[in-house]
Amino acid sequence: MKPTGILFFPAFDWAISPSHPEREERLLYTRDQIFEEGIMDLPQIREYEPGIASHTDIARLHFCIPDVDSQITEAHLISAGSALRIADAVMMGEVRNGFAIVRPPGHHSMTVSHGNRGFCNINNEAIMVEYLRHKYNIKRIAIVDTDVHHGDGSQEIFWDDPDVLFISFHQDGRTLYPGSGFLDELGGPLAYGTTINLPLRPRTTDTGILWALDELIMPLLAEFKPEIVINSAGQDNHYTDPLADMAFTAQGYAQLNSRLAPDIAVLEGGYSVETALPYINMGLIMAMAGMDYSALREPDFDPARFKESSANLDYIKQMVERQLTVFRNREEIIAANRKKGGEFFSTQRSIFYDTEYISEDQRTKLRNCPHCGGYRIIDSSAQHHDGKYYTAYCISLPSWACTDCQNEARALYKDILPKTPNLQVFLQDRPANIFRCYDVKSERETVL
Amino acid sequence: MLIGIDVGGTYTDGVIFEQGDIKASTKAPTDSGDIRGSVLQVLDDLLGSRKPETIQRIVLSTTLVTNTLATGRGEPTALILLPGYGLPHDAYKISEHTWYLKGAVDFRGRQIDPLDKSELAAAVVAIAGLGVKRIAVAAKFANRNNSLELQIRDYINERCPEIKVSISSEVSGKLNFPRRAVTAYFTAMTLTEWNHFADEIEAALRQRGIVCPVDILKADGGTLSLESSRTMPCETVFSGPAASTMGALALNDEKINSVVIDVGGTTSDISLIIDGHPLYAAKGARIEDHFTHVNAFAVRSLALGGDSPLLIAEGGIDVGRTRQGPAACFGGEAPTVTDVFNVYYKLNIADAGRSQAQLAKLAKENRLGLSEMCQTIVEMVTERLMTAIREMFAQWETEPAYKVWEVIHRRRFELHRIMGIGAAAEAILPPLAQRMAVPLFSHQYSAVANALGASVVRPTLSVQVHVDTAADICTVDPGGIRAGMMPGGKVQLEDVKALACKYLVMIGGERGMGEYTSEYQFFMEEQFNTIRGYSGSGKLFDVGVQVLPGFIHEFKGVR
Repeated sequence: MKPTGILFFPAFDWAISPSHPEREERLLYTRDQIFEEGIMDLPQIREYEPGIASHTDIARLHFCIPDVDSQITEAHLISAGSALRIADAVMMGEVRNGFAIVRPPGHHSMTVSHGNRGFCNINNEAIMVEYLRHKYNIKRIAIVDTDVHHGDGSQEIFWDDPDVLFISFHQDGRTLYPGSGFLDELGGPLAYGTTINLPLRPRTTDTGILWALDELIMPLLAEFKPEIVINSAGQDNHYTDPLADMAFTAQGYAQLNSRLAPDIAVLEGGYSVETALPYINMGLIMAMAGMDYSALREPDFDPARFKESSANLDYIKQMVERQLTVFRNREEIIAANRKKGGEFFSTQRSIFYDTEYISEDQRTKLRNCPHCGGYRIIDSSAQHHDGKYYTAYCISLPSWACTDCQNEARALYKDILPKTPNLQVFLQDRPANIFRCYDVKSERETVL
Repeated sequence: MLIGIDVGGTYTDGVIFEQGDIKASTKAPTDSGDIRGSVLQVLDDLLGSRKPETIQRIVLSTTLVTNTLATGRGEPTALILLPGYGLPHDAYKISEHTWYLKGAVDFRGRQIDPLDKSELAAAVVAIAGLGVKRIAVAAKFANRNNSLELQIRDYINERCPEIKVSISSEVSGKLNFPRRAVTAYFTAMTLTEWNHFADEIEAALRQRGIVCPVDILKADGGTLSLESSRTMPCETVFSGPAASTMGALALNDEKINSVVIDVGGTTSDISLIIDGHPLYAAKGARIEDHFTHVNAFAVRSLALGGDSPLLIAEGGIDVGRTRQGPAACFGGEAPTVTDVFNVYYKLNIADAGRSQAQLAKLAKENRLGLSEMCQTIVEMVTERLMTAIREMFAQWETEPAYKVWEVIHRRRFELHRIMGIGAAAEAILPPLAQRMAVPLFSHQYSAVANALGASVVRPTLSVQVHVDTAADICTVDPGGIRAGMMPGGKVQLEDVKALACKYLVMIGGERGMGEYTSEYQFFMEEQFNTIRGYSGSGKLFDVGVQVLPGFIHEFKGVR
């Protein structure tokens, strides 16, 4: 059998700030544990070296304002690049699956990036999804976000994409950052039902989470039939996590990964650096490599400590029923949306960047396309902490956009340039793999 | 007068080196059943009528430990493992006689579970019942806290004093429990044999009136006194390739990138030199298919040498792996790789007529053109070497990295030259150098560079210190744990570096290498703030300092 690919990049020389949860120490004990276990020496494991993402890889997914360099550090390029490296190893058939244990994380980062949100500047998995589509021609992808926080960045990115099934289970947004991920967040009008959230009550245990996995997530995957399954592998559902309040264990995480059998897992959050991460990461590696993990447990683990209440199980069952129904009826609802919608679906929203205290205003439009998911326009403005206002008109063409959408979006980019009130105009032309940014003041276009 | 003796798989080489010149060299077939005999034969050859008191130093590079392990002649040894919670027990395929006991420590050195004394008692009774007199003990994270290993050793010493115990924390302080366990296990298995060898060598030298220091070459290209080697026999494995690599550097130590190829009878050992420094194996020496904590050069051995025979295989002519005898030009029966190069490039080595005749005969028997057959073999040999070299480059280029700085400064391997070592190198390597478009470095002493290298290398020592200020733990490798040696409070990286140097000087002094401990380099400087809640609770430091491989002060280059 082929080995499992592991890419361990703890970024021992990078932190958001010295005492921030996202600091050098975060994967130190994970390093100690996996090195001491000697698991990387086993024939079941192949260790990979970090990769470096290109600016093009990032621009394929994000609109970085005002440019890629102002939103990233070298650590971000390596963290994202390492996800791509593991994706390559899996796609080239060198390994049967792969796990990128990397930081900084990414799943709170949205399409437009004005700064750091929820410890994330760029979205590693989402960059990897667009890379997989571009390089390997993969269309249908499922992301299962197992972080305790709602993966709001990934949700927003794939909100209007009917070919990405985004499933997030997390601690209920009424009790935890980012305060979203409720049952009725189900995707855009033309991609309805391929965003599925399962907000769980605090202190949900292995029993509850694994029940949701078996009864909701696995059936959704079976029906959606993705070509690739990605685990957006946060580790903060753990009972010792300092930022959240769930009761999941290392055994639970290992079992979840055995049953989910993701092709690629990428580390997200998880800040119980000593009492959870070393054990969860071991569990994930062993589960992905098909090894027996029954001997694994946390030092303070007590099997009698966490018992799922029947009331909570009933609550989860109700949510599961409801979400399965929504998913199974999605085609009809999308058809109805197409019929009743105008030329564009428009929304407005504001987005808060908690790490940097940036408030962004967005007006978005989605083309109501009869053939594809439609192209998107995001008109964005925000004041950065240098005091300046940044405004950008962002046009995003999906990889699988129909010819009409492609022609229209490219024409729009040209037409809008002379009359836009914004400082920048972007065209993310994924079908052509060309990423344009026009700076209105200097009248200069940069192309990636 | 310096003596270097390298016991190889096929031949034992020896040189006398003095003031930039090799004064004498000799070569004898290795008797793998009597390595002591091979060493002494070469030594006596070299000495001839020379006065024993003129010898300043003898360095031995031997395959004794490698052979002992490879042929299963190691002392019967039981293994006690305390793997704690993690990998399943079947992940540790080290010894059939393995006992798994309870008791666990975590990465900060905190005890999670105590020993189960009754379980330990039962294991010791069972081991004693087998008549086994050696036990290796390895506990996970014993490098951070070795109290469980010490308790086990004390218990066995008390109950069964006839059983000798090796504990992993004294063998290595590095992370990687299976490698530590394997290294402790192999150490326990070979201690008796190695000490026996050391006794015999000492006695034989005394007999000859030789009183100079005797050092043993290690896999890391440095030496260790024979006396110090008595507790760490595994350090002596794979010293042959280390001798060749250091020999190449002795001939020319320019700070450029080289491939060193030691073309022997049936194997070619390939190592890399980057900016004048030999490259180490990232996962340590691999002994009997196990990674160990023995620091070794990254060496790739190909079953391909000057004496490799020609074979007729299904697809045509091929190069065999098993030596049948010397090349035809040296009186062998069947033609070998050396004969092919001899004829194809008209090298006139020894009896070139015999090379020609034997090759022509083989070609005729198999209805092949002589020239085409030789060309095929030359290309095959060159291709195999080149593939191995390219794979080594790729491996170096794709080593894991754990810091942003390391990833950003990653380089491609740019080759500047090939250095040929060994008798057949000059014949076999020129087409390879041409294919790779680099010069081939060779020297009048290339053929005996391995023994030359052994004779002039200096001792090496690597010391690692791990300090956890919150737990007030300081562990030092080698030597095991010396806890609580750091004052609490404001410990800075500089303090830990100074401490590491102090230990380097101390341990180096104990090993009789005080002359070299002032020439150290730091190879690891890590510090982490441990934050609990919103404030710092302490610091973790890992500092490594080493005396790099190099040459003794007396050595001023070769003429």
